[in-house]
Amino acid sequence: MTSRDSWNAVRARRWLRKCAAVGEGLRLDGRPTVEYYGGRIRIGSRLHLASRPVASHLAVGPGALLDIGNDVSIGCGAAIAAFQHVQIGDGTRVGPFVIIMDTSFHGSPGDQSLQHNCRPVMIGAGCLIGTRVTITRGATIGDGAEILAGSVVSSAIPPGVCAAGARARIIGRAGDPASRWDSAAAVLPNMLMASLGLDSPPDLDSGPIPPHLWTNAGIGAVLGAVHNRFGVELDPAAVREIRSFADIAAAIQRVLWEH
Amino acid sequence: MRGRWLTFRQSVSRWGTRLKGGPSWLRSSLGARLWLSACNQVGANTRTFWRPNIENRGRIIIGANVRLNSHWAPIELVSGPDGVIDIGDRVYINYGSIISAQLRVRIGSNVMIGNYCIVADTEIPGIGDPPGKPSIAPRQIEIGDGAWLAARVTVLPGSRIGAGAVIAAGSIVAGDIAPGDLAGGIPARTLRAR
Repeated sequence: MTSRDSWNAVRARRWLRKCAAVGEGLRLDGRPTVEYYGGRIRIGSRLHLASRPVASHLAVGPGALLDIGNDVSIGCGAAIAAFQHVQIGDGTRVGPFVIIMDTSFHGSPGDQSLQHNCRPVMIGAGCLIGTRVTITRGATIGDGAEILAGSVVSSAIPPGVCAAGARARIIGRAGDPASRWDSAAAVLPNMLMASLGLDSPPDLDSGPIPPHLWTNAGIGAVLGAVHNRFGVELDPAAVREIRSFADIAAAIQRVLWEH
Repeated sequence: MRGRWLTFRQSVSRWGTRLKGGPSWLRSSLGARLWLSACNQVGANTRTFWRPNIENRGRIIIGANVRLNSHWAPIELVSGPDGVIDIGDRVYINYGSIISAQLRVRIGSNVMIGNYCIVADTEIPGIGDPPGKPSIAPRQIEIGDGAWLAARVTVLPGSRIGAGAVIAAGSIVAGDIAPGDLAGGIPARTLRAR
């Protein structure tokens, strides 16, 4: 441990001196903005919180609890606001410019009416939260789940899955190399919207495909789009077996695996 | 001994966020000498405006005629122990951008990078994991010559952006973008082919 490290540790302690509990091995890059409006912040051991180049921001409202577990690392520019209860589990890694809020606003403190809009945010242990993810009030993320960059999480994400999208949907298992932003399940909703002329991207889990969409023209448009995007042809036998939108993603994934 | 000398030079650069007084061309080229001193190699006539944050634990190579603008938010260049950041000639990087390499990030010549962009070959940019924790394998990033990244673009690990490609503001790039394409969206898809 060099003298600079110990000096950084002293400064980190000072910056977080109003926290209810701070574990050991704290590592802060740059000075975060911490705002206390009568709440408590509990921080576990070995937190890594970056505030460079953009400062991270922790705010706790009256009577609220912000609970950060052990071995958590949080990127720069993060905005975490707890006005009721925000919990981040052990070993979770949070990317830069992530917004986590259990209230629907962020602004003037002390306004009691804001309390009504709060719903606690629970993030499990060992999660991976990508860059520029927004986690809104009431969101629950299970242990070991993975949220891809740029997603918006507003509902419950079960443990061990990989979710993506604005209103994050499950696209696969966490840690699976196929669960990425360029995977079939992630790309497909927008592709279907374009090729079938829908008003909004369809939900892959929405059950059977409506027969008026799945005509010969519709199938041709989808297969053309699949060929353009992924460079693969689905064989006719596989196409005949497609019943739901999720089947299309599975078929593409199978062909890609065979390559 | 060498480690101590480097620490001293880094502490010199921590005195302020910018140089004051004098003509701007002199200020920016002297600033580059001072603030890029932690880099392994810096080309001729490279200039910085205000002070970037450089954390070099691996290798950072910057070409000639590069402009680094850190005016409203500093640029952050971070290389981990095995990381290489290779920036070509005549690159312009706007303020608030993060470039982080645990493996390799290569930025070609004549590239323009907008403000608040994130180019990182690991999911969580910045200096890596707390010791004793498994890390997610980094995948290298290549940005071709003459590419243009607009504001707030995120380039995810393993991406390759072709020469002359344009990425629209706010996009998230995952996978390959063909040379000369205009791409955008989350995840970025080709909006207009060359």
